[in-house]
Amino acid sequence: MIYPPPLNLVQFSFLAISEQYLSILTQTPIRLINYRFRYRSPPPFREIDDLSTAIESSPILFPCHFRAVFVNFDPNSYTADQLSISVQAHMAKFAAKNSPACGTCASNVTVSVTLDSNSNCISNGNNVDWKCGALNEFKFAEKHEDGLLDEDFASLLDNNSGAKVYTVVAVKTEQEEVRAVVGKYRHAWIMGRIFEEEAIEKIAEIFVNVFMNGGKEEGLIHGEFMPLGADGRIVLSFNLLNADPHNWIYDWDFQEIDENLLSPVIDALKPLADVSVESQVLYHTPKSSFSFWDDRLDSYIFSTKDLPFFVNSNEWHLDTSVAAGGLSKILQFVVYVPSAKECPLQLQLPNGEISTTNGFISPMWGGIVVWNPSACLTDSKIKHPLRYKISSEDSRKLFEVFMGQLRQLFGLKSDGLFVGASGTSILLASERGFSEWELDVLSRQHSCFNLLQCGTTLGSLSRLVQSLPRMIIMDDIGKQVKYSLEAARLTLSNALLGIYDASAESSRQARLLAEDAFYHPSMMSVSYYSFEHCFAVYSPFFLPVSLHVLLAVLREWKRYKQESKKYYAWKAK
Amino acid sequence: MFKCCLHSQLQFRSETSLESDHLMGSREPIVLIFLILISTYESSAKGGIAEELNEEFTEGLLLRPLPDRKVLAHFHFQSSVPPTRIYGRHHHLFPKSIYQLVNKFRVREMELSFTQGRWNYERWGGYDPISSSSAKPPGVELWADFDVPLDQVDDSWRNLTHALSGLFCASINFLEHSTSYSAPQWSFHSFAGKLRYGTLPREAVCTENLTPWLKLLPCRDKAGLSALMDRPSIYKGYYHSQRLHLTSDDFGTAKSNAGTMLEQTLTVVLQPNTLGARAMVSGKTLQPSWSLNSLFGRKVHGKCSVSKSSNVYVQFEQNLVSELKEVRKKSEAPESGILIHDDFGNNTIFEMSASPDRVVKEVENLQKEDSSILLEFLVEDYNDSKPFDLGLRWKLPVVWSCQQAPLHASRFLMGSGNERGAIAISLKSLSSNNTPTVGCCEKGSQLRINIFQVVPWYVKVYYHTLKVFIDGELQSTMENIEKIHISPSEDKVSPGVMEMILRLPCGVITAALTLEFDKGFLHIDEYPPDANQGFDIPSAVVSFTDFQASASFEDNLLNKLPILNELQERKHVISYTEVLLVPLTTPDFSMPYNVITITCTVFALYFGSLLNVLRRRVGEEERRLKSKAAKKKGPLTSLLSKLSAKLKGRPVEPPETPSTSPSLINNKLVLKVILVAGIAAGWQYYFR
Repeated sequence: MIYPPPLNLVQFSFLAISEQYLSILTQTPIRLINYRFRYRSPPPFREIDDLSTAIESSPILFPCHFRAVFVNFDPNSYTADQLSISVQAHMAKFAAKNSPACGTCASNVTVSVTLDSNSNCISNGNNVDWKCGALNEFKFAEKHEDGLLDEDFASLLDNNSGAKVYTVVAVKTEQEEVRAVVGKYRHAWIMGRIFEEEAIEKIAEIFVNVFMNGGKEEGLIHGEFMPLGADGRIVLSFNLLNADPHNWIYDWDFQEIDENLLSPVIDALKPLADVSVESQVLYHTPKSSFSFWDDRLDSYIFSTKDLPFFVNSNEWHLDTSVAAGGLSKILQFVVYVPSAKECPLQLQLPNGEISTTNGFISPMWGGIVVWNPSACLTDSKIKHPLRYKISSEDSRKLFEVFMGQLRQLFGLKSDGLFVGASGTSILLASERGFSEWELDVLSRQHSCFNLLQCGTTLGSLSRLVQSLPRMIIMDDIGKQVKYSLEAARLTLSNALLGIYDASAESSRQARLLAEDAFYHPSMMSVSYYSFEHCFAVYSPFFLPVSLHVLLAVLREWKRYKQESKKYYAWKAK
Repeated sequence: MFKCCLHSQLQFRSETSLESDHLMGSREPIVLIFLILISTYESSAKGGIAEELNEEFTEGLLLRPLPDRKVLAHFHFQSSVPPTRIYGRHHHLFPKSIYQLVNKFRVREMELSFTQGRWNYERWGGYDPISSSSAKPPGVELWADFDVPLDQVDDSWRNLTHALSGLFCASINFLEHSTSYSAPQWSFHSFAGKLRYGTLPREAVCTENLTPWLKLLPCRDKAGLSALMDRPSIYKGYYHSQRLHLTSDDFGTAKSNAGTMLEQTLTVVLQPNTLGARAMVSGKTLQPSWSLNSLFGRKVHGKCSVSKSSNVYVQFEQNLVSELKEVRKKSEAPESGILIHDDFGNNTIFEMSASPDRVVKEVENLQKEDSSILLEFLVEDYNDSKPFDLGLRWKLPVVWSCQQAPLHASRFLMGSGNERGAIAISLKSLSSNNTPTVGCCEKGSQLRINIFQVVPWYVKVYYHTLKVFIDGELQSTMENIEKIHISPSEDKVSPGVMEMILRLPCGVITAALTLEFDKGFLHIDEYPPDANQGFDIPSAVVSFTDFQASASFEDNLLNKLPILNELQERKHVISYTEVLLVPLTTPDFSMPYNVITITCTVFALYFGSLLNVLRRRVGEEERRLKSKAAKKKGPLTSLLSKLSAKLKGRPVEPPETPSTSPSLINNKLVLKVILVAGIAAGWQYYFR
């Protein structure tokens, strides 16, 4: 015992000082953290998990109501119930071909059948308001105009109950040719010399592949990639690009296009999305890849394999819109006026043919149309470039191509024909761009996709929060998550009831709130104080201390071995 | 006039060809095309005149030789669009982004400038329209006037700064904090309460700001005059300022047809490339010769095809013109011809590579004998095969000076140390006989000077210490200040703003204002990166309200051309002072970590020794030593054991002395206790 007393004294003085330092040492980081964020309100993890499992386990399916009307068929061969059952059986067969996609109809579809022949009128189901014998007034043979027929059917089938019922009317006439037409509203008709079995198959196909799935084919854009912003807004940005204004300058009267052609489309899309339109004319915007001259076609050819290099993002300042919010989707539509050096410019399909529309789309980005000026081959050595205006006829044509492209971007067919297993049906084009049954399909898909997106966003948010236990979450985020969950639940209940518009609206709300919560500014600045950081700051303390402890343990272990050896030696004695 | 001639000529030509057509019957198709061409050109030109309400884009470039062997190039682009209620919201020339910006934030007027370098008022002039409108403070300056209710102005401003910072790739969004912008009441521009003004003196300006600015032009830098903007040549200049000025009356109740107008200017001061040694003529150095190609490294290949007019001007200032006359008199026989009517392409003093299409003289005002001259060159007539490259070659040495502002304003800091200081604004008469101060004095009125200054909150200005010195003597403040408005700074909320109208007697030579200030402290989070560099106090704006910086030109036709309109716009003479750099006390930012480290080290030492003491078994060690001592050892082994003992930190106990007297240990103990107590006492004494 030589040194202990002074050591003790030193210890005490050290302790006195260290007490102060200790308090600083331990409290500063905590104080720093608390200074910024008051508390942490965890989002409802369990409810989020419930929602995402509910969405992922089974896709949202809507109840759908179908109605088949058989006119002039023999009433004795089949009863209405038999017909209904066989239509449903065929529908199940068609539906089984592809797995139930999100946003289609549930398996428990209702099919009501009406048999309307001259003498009697039989129907099953309860809410069938088919005016029996009404079709007798029409002289089908005289009316070949599909549009007029469509309006006639619309007035016949007009139901004020508000429930969305899809109808197919099969009319047996003396005509040899069987004609199937899908109208602009929620009905279709089949006409001609047709037998029951054939009619049943056709009706079932129209129900499943057109009214339920929107007439989609493989290879078209999937519903998940619908060009809709998270806030349900789309900005259609129309651009007229003059590749080289030294040759010619083209202008358009977009005001007119906007007022006359675009506004009905915007109105039609209103339940689905809030569409705004803007336009600009740009100059000196060459494309980025080269075309080659083809003598046979007498034009410059741009082949399909080069299409990815058509858009020249260096020179095409299409610009994101200031007016659009951060979550809006912008679709660019570009009219490309080639320079005199490469006029006329034609797009070539892979099979060697020339594209009829001379345009192409890029999913989620927009569409491009190459428009060749009529004055292509005139002398290009003009001192002052000429100013032209694209004629209203030409701009109407361009607009039609753009409408087709917009429909394609939404995953719909643009050629007006549906080729099914049981023959081809004509899809009537609406002057509003989208027919009613197509809008139904879109809003079903939209609400389903939104809900999926909302589920994944909330899921990743909850995973993020759980993986960073020290991260502080603002109160607002918790609130947004709560509201988002409520909206998602509302969507689900609306979907069960079959209210498409309302479910689309509430699903949009759910997704918007989820995205808002995820991209909340306080989340973006990752200002949390990680444990690793804490450890790094205190490493000057932990490293020497651990060294001491290690050495001490080593020595003790050595001594223990020695002592135990001694002990055994002593024991052995 | 020239244009008219051109038109009539064209008309004549088309008529003649028509006649010939009739006479000759069928002609070659080329002639027909030519005919159609001319007729469409005519109709479009006529349509442009008849239909006033159309979008327009014009471009212009003004070049001016400067006295200090440099050249000023001032690009001017203007796009205008009629009001939305008449014209609709779809445009074919006006930039979409700007239109959306104006409509979204309801901007009535806005000016944004990016500047690098400082305008040298003494050498490059301070009185002409260009120095008043295009000489800007370094960094970013933004002011905007909104057409929204008063309580929404701040929100609009914040949103606008964010939108602009996205549009121009600059950190304009730093202006969103209320500490960085101010609301001048009356001095800056006369808008009531809805104007916001902010500057970022330290913003670095480079190509990433110029490219989005060029994107707003329909031809960008692909064609027209903007094709001259070769980035390396522009940015190696002495001064570079790109400006964007926006006016809109879309929201006003007034049914005017002015619509929205976007004015973009780029002002650069370049040093012409003088190859080799300076040319000397009769002992004096010649002004450097230059051409567009030597200045910019490019030539103009025709105009931007959508622009209405595309002109290049070379301006000879008033003083230069009178100097030229002088030189002419000296060098030649008394051939007293007026310069205007001379051959501008080639005379005895200088030579131009192209002859001007027109010469415009400034209307003489008051007692000025000579007035500045503009030489106009039309770019339309040039194309790829015949590019436009304007050159100016001096043959005789000419020395002149630019027209100066009434007083030269500068600002500096006084005092030393990190605690307090003073700001001084000094106004100095440059005492040359051609300053317009003379005119003011003849009227016997006083010189009124408007000063607007914004000071950040951490420079705490004591406005009661305002002192006015005139010609070196302290004067009463009340007598010399006509009007003053001060909004003191509020810590971490708003900057201090001072607006005043100073009234000075006429023959004043120097005047100075001083204001004392204390330097504040910032929270550790508020320091910017590289805080040791110091903090900037934005430039003060000094405007001379009695003087109009405008030139009026003789030709009324010229009013159609925006670049000349800009020169003719009636504006006060404005100059900006220097940016001040205030060093503030900055903490040692690594201090918290240092404290943590040293504390941790002390703790680790303490812990280690404590652990050793706890672990030690004194009795056992003594026993072992004794048993070792019992064994007889050789000298080498004893030495080794000593060494090992020393290394292990144990007290060396020679085995020969098995027992020592306890009194000796007690003595040592007492000594050590005293030592520790002394240290503790000293500690207490010094750190209390």
